[in-house]
Amino acid sequence: MPPALVIEHLTKVYPNKTRALDDISLEVQPGEFVVLIGLSGSGKSTLLRCVNRLVEPTSGRIVFEGQDVTAARGGELRRTRRQMGMIFQQFNLVKRTSVFSNALSGRLGYRSTLATATGRASKKDVELAFEDLARVGIIEKAYQRADTLSGGQQQRVGIARALMQEPRLMLADEPVASLDPATSHSVMKYLEEINKKDGITVLCSLHFLSLARRYGTRVIALKGGRIVFDGTPGEIDEARFREIYGEDAVEVEIR
Amino acid sequence: MAEYFRARGLPVPPELEHPWYTDWRRLLGILVTLAVLWVGFDYVGFDPRRLQFDYAPNILGQLARPDPSICGPQNEFETWRDGACGLMIETIFLGIVATAISIVVALPLSFLGARNLMTVNPVTSVIYTVVRIVFTIVRSIDVLILVIIAAVIFGIGTAAGVVALAFHNIGVIGKLYSEAIEGIDAGPLEAITATGANRFQVVWTAVLPQIVNPFVSFTIYRLDTNVRLAPILGLVGGGGIGTLLFQNIQLLHYRQASFIIILIIVTVAAMDFISAQVRKRLA
Repeated sequence: MPPALVIEHLTKVYPNKTRALDDISLEVQPGEFVVLIGLSGSGKSTLLRCVNRLVEPTSGRIVFEGQDVTAARGGELRRTRRQMGMIFQQFNLVKRTSVFSNALSGRLGYRSTLATATGRASKKDVELAFEDLARVGIIEKAYQRADTLSGGQQQRVGIARALMQEPRLMLADEPVASLDPATSHSVMKYLEEINKKDGITVLCSLHFLSLARRYGTRVIALKGGRIVFDGTPGEIDEARFREIYGEDAVEVEIR
Repeated sequence: MAEYFRARGLPVPPELEHPWYTDWRRLLGILVTLAVLWVGFDYVGFDPRRLQFDYAPNILGQLARPDPSICGPQNEFETWRDGACGLMIETIFLGIVATAISIVVALPLSFLGARNLMTVNPVTSVIYTVVRIVFTIVRSIDVLILVIIAAVIFGIGTAAGVVALAFHNIGVIGKLYSEAIEGIDAGPLEAITATGANRFQVVWTAVLPQIVNPFVSFTIYRLDTNVRLAPILGLVGGGGIGTLLFQNIQLLHYRQASFIIILIIVTVAAMDFISAQVRKRLA
């Protein structure tokens, strides 16, 4: 099977000269659950955002299921983006609108500008919205304003919104970093489920190595914008850990 | 006091080490301020000893007895709309119409003047800069000057007042709207962009819900300000109740002028109250 995602010599230098990514190359196979780890500022967020071009790479190439993402322009780029769901540390819901509208907005890549302005959602989109909200167990809150929900519930709406895109790849940028340990697991379990049941490839950055070990099929560690480890979770021993997080680091468990 | 810190080996706060009166820059600042004030008072010739109060009791006495007959028509050729009360209503509408016109122009421009939406590429950045400069220039011309110019072009009357007030308000409300857009949470923008939505869809879905309340709030605030400004416009040719007030003062009809002033004060106070109440509920 061809790889789901190929990244070749990806480099990102921000205008302030920060080298966030330094010649990153990797391949992700379909169905993998890849966890990105590394210190804050190691380039995890930038890497995820380069994949769907929320951040413009400085050089290098990204190929998603055979389509060159880095070369895509306009409508082509938007069609590529809609195949990649994304969830965020701060959930990034439109807080003043309902949970239902937030879920529906995941469908925008499939809708025309006119349909957006007139506010008419197709029957299929509405059915899909309820289906996905039910799936993340939040259907009874569908008509509440998004900001009345707890953090874990908001993240589940975020997952529903991403699922609405019917994506082939799920990008998750620290999806549980703002949540308590118990809620973290419930959110991670939804990601695990869409990975295992729907076969959606997941690329997820995490702070806690224990979560990476529990959910990842593969772990990639970044340090200063470079890959310092790429392997199975089991391979990360004490020595590797110190290499990734620095000499003084001590592992903190989240159960 | 500095000794307290030194004795304990602590760093001495800079303001204790160097009191303000030892700082030559501050002393110079005080000296310059005093010099400017001294020259200024001398220049404008303001001297309280030369103020004269000979006419004050007479005029104040007339002002204390407002004449309500100015409210209605003054002769058989006038209708109620030509009286002070009619003109007050006309002036309120002048403010409302001017605000409405300025919103039609400023609303679309305000999106082009929002930095967070316009730093996509160099072209949009240039548009952003131009729009904001235009807002600033338009805003910086005082309404009274605009009314004088408009009165020359369109003739003295409410048309001149509406045009001048609308023009000025484009600059003010455009800036307020743009800044409201710049103040939104950027997270949803990013998330909606990631779904594959186009620019319009992003603005429609992620920006609009966040700016409705601030926009309504700013609009009511400006409506209040414009209705408050409208009576003054008449003094320089903008029509409405201001013109009537100006005429009555010129004719030394202080009792009528007094009624007009009271009318304006009541209107402005009412607008102020309503506007504050509505905005409080929106916040």
